[in-house]
Amino acid sequence: MNSAFNDPAFWSRLQFGFTLTFHYLFPQLTMGLAWFLVFWKWRALRTGDKKYNQAARFWAKIFGLNFAVGVVTGIPMEFQFGTNWADFSRFAGGVIGQTLAMEGMFAFFLESAFVGALIWGERRLGPRYHFIAAVAVALGSWLSGYFILVTNAFMQHPVGYELQADGSLGIASFSAYLLNRWAWVEFAHNQMAALVTGSFVVAAVGAFYSLRGLHTVQARLYLRAGTFVALIASLLVAFPTGDQQAKMVGNHQPVTLAAMEGRFHGGRDAGVAMIGEPNVAAQRLDNPIEVPGALSFLAYGTFQSYVRGLDQFPQDTWPDNIELLYYSFHLMITLGSAFIILMAYASFRNWRGRLESDTLLRWALMLAFPFPYIANTLGWMTAELGRQPWLIYGLFHTRDGYSKMVSSGTTIFTLIGFVGLYFVLGLLFLFLVGREIANGPDQEAVNQLVEARAA
Amino acid sequence: MIETWYIIICLMLITYVLLDGRNWGAGMILGLVATAQERRQVIAAIGPLWSWHEVWLVGFGGTLVAVFPKLMASAFAGYYLALFLILWSLILRGVSLEVGGHINDRMWQGFWDFVFVVSNFLLAILFGTAAGNLARGVPLDGHGDFSMAFFSDFRVRGYVGLLDWYTVSVALFAAVLMAAHGATYLVLKTEGAVHDRSETFAKYLWVAVAPLLIMVTVESRVVRPDLPGRAIHNPVLWLGLLMITVSTITLVSGRLSHREGRAFLGSNFLLVGLLTTGGAAIFPVMLHSTLSPENSLTAYSVAANPSALRFALIWWPMGLALAVAYFVFISRQYAGKVSVNRDNQGFY
Repeated sequence: MNSAFNDPAFWSRLQFGFTLTFHYLFPQLTMGLAWFLVFWKWRALRTGDKKYNQAARFWAKIFGLNFAVGVVTGIPMEFQFGTNWADFSRFAGGVIGQTLAMEGMFAFFLESAFVGALIWGERRLGPRYHFIAAVAVALGSWLSGYFILVTNAFMQHPVGYELQADGSLGIASFSAYLLNRWAWVEFAHNQMAALVTGSFVVAAVGAFYSLRGLHTVQARLYLRAGTFVALIASLLVAFPTGDQQAKMVGNHQPVTLAAMEGRFHGGRDAGVAMIGEPNVAAQRLDNPIEVPGALSFLAYGTFQSYVRGLDQFPQDTWPDNIELLYYSFHLMITLGSAFIILMAYASFRNWRGRLESDTLLRWALMLAFPFPYIANTLGWMTAELGRQPWLIYGLFHTRDGYSKMVSSGTTIFTLIGFVGLYFVLGLLFLFLVGREIANGPDQEAVNQLVEARAA
Repeated sequence: MIETWYIIICLMLITYVLLDGRNWGAGMILGLVATAQERRQVIAAIGPLWSWHEVWLVGFGGTLVAVFPKLMASAFAGYYLALFLILWSLILRGVSLEVGGHINDRMWQGFWDFVFVVSNFLLAILFGTAAGNLARGVPLDGHGDFSMAFFSDFRVRGYVGLLDWYTVSVALFAAVLMAAHGATYLVLKTEGAVHDRSETFAKYLWVAVAPLLIMVTVESRVVRPDLPGRAIHNPVLWLGLLMITVSTITLVSGRLSHREGRAFLGSNFLLVGLLTTGGAAIFPVMLHSTLSPENSLTAYSVAANPSALRFALIWWPMGLALAVAYFVFISRQYAGKVSVNRDNQGFY
């Protein structure tokens, strides 16, 4: 048997990574979609135009499915802090537990108290309260994102803590912990990325209906709103939020930046590799095609800035999987750039009134929706692989955090359980969402029923 | 400070059990009602609020990490497989409720109703087993760690397993109690055939709860002879016992006079009273060691450092105030009996 098979820390990491990656497929859509619902409910209030309520009604159902899967896959995340990361919880529970609990009490309570009313309660609530329910759910979903990102930001860039007499971490400054600069930048970047996912999905459904010649009014609404928000959000993901995020990594985790860029050797005039494969054994980037000076400029502001390479850091502080980190980061950047180009072109065609007659473009928009999910996942892989070998950067090693009482085989067993369960859950989700999309927003019976009572 | 947090943690867990207990109980009753139409009515009674009930577990779990991190670490790692069974049951329960309403088809809904019944039954049994384990203790070693099998020799001392004669009987008690609680809830929230059927179930289930409660009390005395001597000086224990008495009277009088709201109130406070008594009885030990009393984890030994406890005491009351506000909103929005046409995961 090889050693990785008997390494409980590895399997606990894999299980956490797998369950978190799957979980986050759902909240990223709800966080993005929530503001579309608010916007449409608001337009319906202002204009009285039924098409906005129809749109909100249709997307609320898809929101509801996402929300449900998000809830049930989210609970295992919190529990794993105890089951698989017991020593991490012992060390840092007093700090990171605060925001985990605050997420529950300030965000989930709000979201879950109103989500049922948002999805099904239009008749009972009336238009004004139904709009408020949409706002409450949107706020709840973004607040939960903030609390989780404060938790993650503490692991990336610990601030406001103090080491206690018993060897655990305590809180020295509440405000420093809650208003960690890392958390704000990461939150801005992450929420824009969630909007990218939400808007791409809205645009894709619009493109699908438009290509099919179905639900013409709704299709136009989705296409226009989707491509417009997608363009803005794609731009904001890159600049300023992504740019700030990279600068922060450069300042606080320089070894991570070097690994992300595959820079084995330091120097001025550092380039960004457009293409290239890191060869860790030989400590070089194979077949690189670089934009000269770009990394110096992006990370530190001038083309001449000195950017350190991996060789200037002790090898035991290197992220433990440089290749995966490099590919994740670079593919994320590539996809992000492609999103801007696609949505800029779509917005241009829309401005010229050609969006709904451009077959190729509508096909592209329809098929583009999986890629923001991939880009979001790659972004998180970059953040978390880049943090290695630390669980809390500079304070606590990942190796020291896992549950010593849980054997690797036990974790493999539960990991396989999750893989099986989530596979079925994913199929079920796709089947039901596909069915809702096939049913479409123009369900006369439902719309008449709701509007008759709401009036 | 640590006592305050012990009380808060217990309150959060109790709130979760009260709220999700409705789902477990109604879920088990769902397996007993006759027609598909009636099953829709039971689902409607749980309706759009299951996630609101379930997030109390998230609030509890997060608070546990924040204020008793060492307990979370020991207990969750030690109960590893049992906890994943709970997690998977929660996933199946939520999914079955959510997707069942999406397709109006007998086979589809029949299948998901079945999953719903089984997962709720499992949850009631698993949480009951967990309660039994908390009372009996686990084989904690000198480092505050343990790992245990699903069952060993079914005895309650030494290297115990998750299941033994005591924890199994507590689980049985919990399942019957939760079914009774769920039936009482359904009596309040439904009308017609389900209402009448739930009346009957509630009657028999509450009658069954009484001897089981006496049995579990006697058993607890046998399993933990050390408890009464210490707990008798704890005023909260007496508060719990008083609550049990008053709520039992409320429940019985509510049932006999067909005041459904009163009966349900009694049912809720009976649960609060039972859990309060249990929580007060074991305090300050949070996890008892069956190997040696010195290995036990007390609230004082597992609490986070004072700075963490102080910080949490700032935001927690704000969170609670908001939760109460949502609770008022929910009570007003969803007051009264449900009707299948209106609340069955359809637009209402």
